[in-house]
Amino acid sequence: MLEELQTRNAFLQHVHPTLKLLSLFTVFFCMIFVYDIWRPLAVLLLTVAVVAFLGKVPLKLLLGLLLPFALFGFSFVWLQVVFPEERGSTVLFYVFHMPVALENIQTGVSLGLRAMVYASWSLLFVLTTSPVSLVMSLIQKWHMPPSIGYGMMAAYRFLPQLREELAVIRRARQIRGMGKKPKVREWKEMAVPLMAGAVRKAERTALAMESKGFDGSRQRTRYVQMNYKKMDVWFTAGFILFITVIFLLPMS
Amino acid sequence: MPNKRLNLRDIVVISFISAVLGVLYLLWVLLGQMVTGIFGPVGGGLMAGFWILAPVVCAYIVQKPGAAMLAELIAAGTEVMAGSVSAGAVLVLGFTQGLAAEIIFALFFYRVFRLPVLMLAGMAGTFAAFLTQYVLYGFSQYAGSVVVFMLITMLISGALLAGWAGKSFTDALVKTGVLDRFALGRQYRLEQQRDTV
Repeated sequence: MLEELQTRNAFLQHVHPTLKLLSLFTVFFCMIFVYDIWRPLAVLLLTVAVVAFLGKVPLKLLLGLLLPFALFGFSFVWLQVVFPEERGSTVLFYVFHMPVALENIQTGVSLGLRAMVYASWSLLFVLTTSPVSLVMSLIQKWHMPPSIGYGMMAAYRFLPQLREELAVIRRARQIRGMGKKPKVREWKEMAVPLMAGAVRKAERTALAMESKGFDGSRQRTRYVQMNYKKMDVWFTAGFILFITVIFLLPMS
Repeated sequence: MPNKRLNLRDIVVISFISAVLGVLYLLWVLLGQMVTGIFGPVGGGLMAGFWILAPVVCAYIVQKPGAAMLAELIAAGTEVMAGSVSAGAVLVLGFTQGLAAEIIFALFFYRVFRLPVLMLAGMAGTFAAFLTQYVLYGFSQYAGSVVVFMLITMLISGALLAGWAGKSFTDALVKTGVLDRFALGRQYRLEQQRDTV
């Protein structure tokens, strides 16, 4: 399902992964200086709208993924109310003789919303970028060494096998009469064979890569070319406008 | 003096180990978020060490410069590729945590990989995680005592979950023989030969 979303024919899916990554880091950096409620709220709503419309991601799925972050964000609120750096003066009500001040609730909500903004921008990136295009653009545009890029992709392709390997280890335990479910204390009995299998597979993969002439050099022809396109100009322009309006203008 | 640069085999093996750990990181995030949601960031601090396992385990196995940094970046990259809902934070944290662990190994010239050094690397990793989260999530707005308490729980977690558990796991892995062509495996075989002679 994730793969289907990442390769959908929508605007965000066609934007160059490096630009999306750069915009993600920019938003993170800009949010560090924000302590009011309205700007994170505006960014959050805007991001959700952009992902839903320009990325054609179902709104229901998006909100469902953000829901756990609401809980995570709420922890910022109560922590801010109970342990503030400085208790506010506008006391709203008392909980067990502890004053609850408006200022602290505001800061808490702002920090909670900030966590949700981070999550929404991460979703914008993750839901619209396929792993292959990400690694390919990092190799081609951001000078990631090809050996690391292809190594990562090989490892990523191996991951679906893990579940199968885990089932094999579990059955092997069972056949030796070691019980059906391993206890938490016996985690090593599952983890060690699992990792040993991964290391063996990795060595075989490295050998196969070398024997097929992979030397990690940049001089090689590529099937997938990750070049900047017209869409990327639009994305960059829109993003700069967004940053200016939300973060730069209120400062001056 | 063995070659101290990462070769293709090192890189691919680090990739596979870190990718597996990256998946576990992702599952740990769900657990961590539940703990953080209920007990607040202080309780969540005790979970933090788990995310430093990749640099500790990989640096301990390969014992070359760059292994720790690469391992944590790949683990973070795997989390993103597998669809982490906190991709941005994961990448920033992956960089700072890996860098911190790498610095500790560099301070010992990539020669000492005993338990205290691994625990120190784990603590450096969680310390970097603390600093990163302090900036990202605005910890400056909370009472100093809470923030200090959080830092302490994270440091303890780094020493135990990353340093101690990481070493204990890797030591068990060496005995299977799959690491015989790496620095750690060679040392283990040499020690065994010495014991039998």
